[in-house]
Amino acid sequence: SIMPSYKLTYFDGRARAEVARQILYLADIPFEDVRISLHDWPSLKSTTPFGQMPLLEVDGQSLPQSFAIFRYLAKQFGFSGDSPFESAWVDALADQHADYFREILPVLLTIWGFTQGDRMALVKEVATPARDKYFPLLEKIAKDNGLNGHFVGDSLTWVDLLIAEHVGSINQHLPGFLSAYPSVIKTVNKITSTPRLKEWIEKRKETTF
Amino acid sequence: MPVYKFYYFPVRSLGEVVRQIFKLAEVDFEDVRIEDKNWPEFKDQTPFGQMPVLEVDGKPIPQSFAIARYIASQHGLAGKTPFEAAWVDAMADQWRDFRFEFRNYWYIFMGYWEGDAEAAKAKHAFSARDKFYPLIVNQLKENGSGFLVGDSATWIDLLISDQAVTINKELPGFLDAYPEVIAHAAKVRAIPQIAKWIETRPETR
Repeated sequence: SIMPSYKLTYFDGRARAEVARQILYLADIPFEDVRISLHDWPSLKSTTPFGQMPLLEVDGQSLPQSFAIFRYLAKQFGFSGDSPFESAWVDALADQHADYFREILPVLLTIWGFTQGDRMALVKEVATPARDKYFPLLEKIAKDNGLNGHFVGDSLTWVDLLIAEHVGSINQHLPGFLSAYPSVIKTVNKITSTPRLKEWIEKRKETTF
Repeated sequence: MPVYKFYYFPVRSLGEVVRQIFKLAEVDFEDVRIEDKNWPEFKDQTPFGQMPVLEVDGKPIPQSFAIARYIASQHGLAGKTPFEAAWVDAMADQWRDFRFEFRNYWYIFMGYWEGDAEAAKAKHAFSARDKFYPLIVNQLKENGSGFLVGDSATWIDLLISDQAVTINKELPGFLDAYPEVIAHAAKVRAIPQIAKWIETRPETR
């Protein structure tokens, strides 16, 4: 059968689209990697289903919402766990991560230069408590899973990519912020040394976010 | 059939969608409701220190949407194709974004949080509502079946309908500008298995 065409549209950064790019690259699926400038976005906004990006188009049919996109692609290409139960755990950890990410996002937006703010105060008063609520859980999950280089099961899943991308972003701007979580760091390092992922990370464009 | 035990507080909120999926699928489950006062003791036994949790033959799954999707997928209530399933997921996450903003008012109004309800309402409630519900109305129009995705009820119909009715009941008139949402909720609640559940379920605010 003929492979569908894939087009991914997002800002010129990693943030909420990178996992989709990684899944497609890992699966060796060609895709159009469209990046929209902040300047051009307002006029494009109303053409999207939810007024937001990222947006995936599969043979011209639109799909919004990053996790829906990641899960859809992961299912198509084998990155969503080895059983329905495992897939549910991938989903659960991703949603737990999203709850944390919502809390830390205001800090990241300031660090990335999208909003004004007292960076040091935000790191201390917002990012640190958010981290301290979530990362002990992640540390335990990495250990309970046997420090096998995955957060769920024993094959690469989209939640591995999600967490690894976030840890990479944190390390880019707040080095040492996660030093109290060695099992998480070890797991992320194993994830990012997956050969084809390592290749993508090395050759991708460097962006602030 | 596995043995299902669903643990949540004695409320509808984020857990009701799972109960309704079981009811619509006509699959037995134990509907365990943990009172606030008993929660601290139970908390450490849960994977993430939170509820809801679903036990499947004793093995837990946390996070309401992961649970909902897991059960719905096995019983034809998550869309008929992978792309439909993805749209169900997209709308669920869009609802979650709405709730994250709306709760800045809702949680004060319901008494869970301290704060100035009127100020919070002005700041958060209307903008959250008017960003989200037009998308639901549009989806209903475009889909054309009376349901949000495909031509039969999926778990997103259950989630949206219960939440809309709850909001409308507590804040009469709040959704007056969205009659299609109210009509959709009525249609979902008229599904026999759901209607029966609504009649027999414990009454909670």
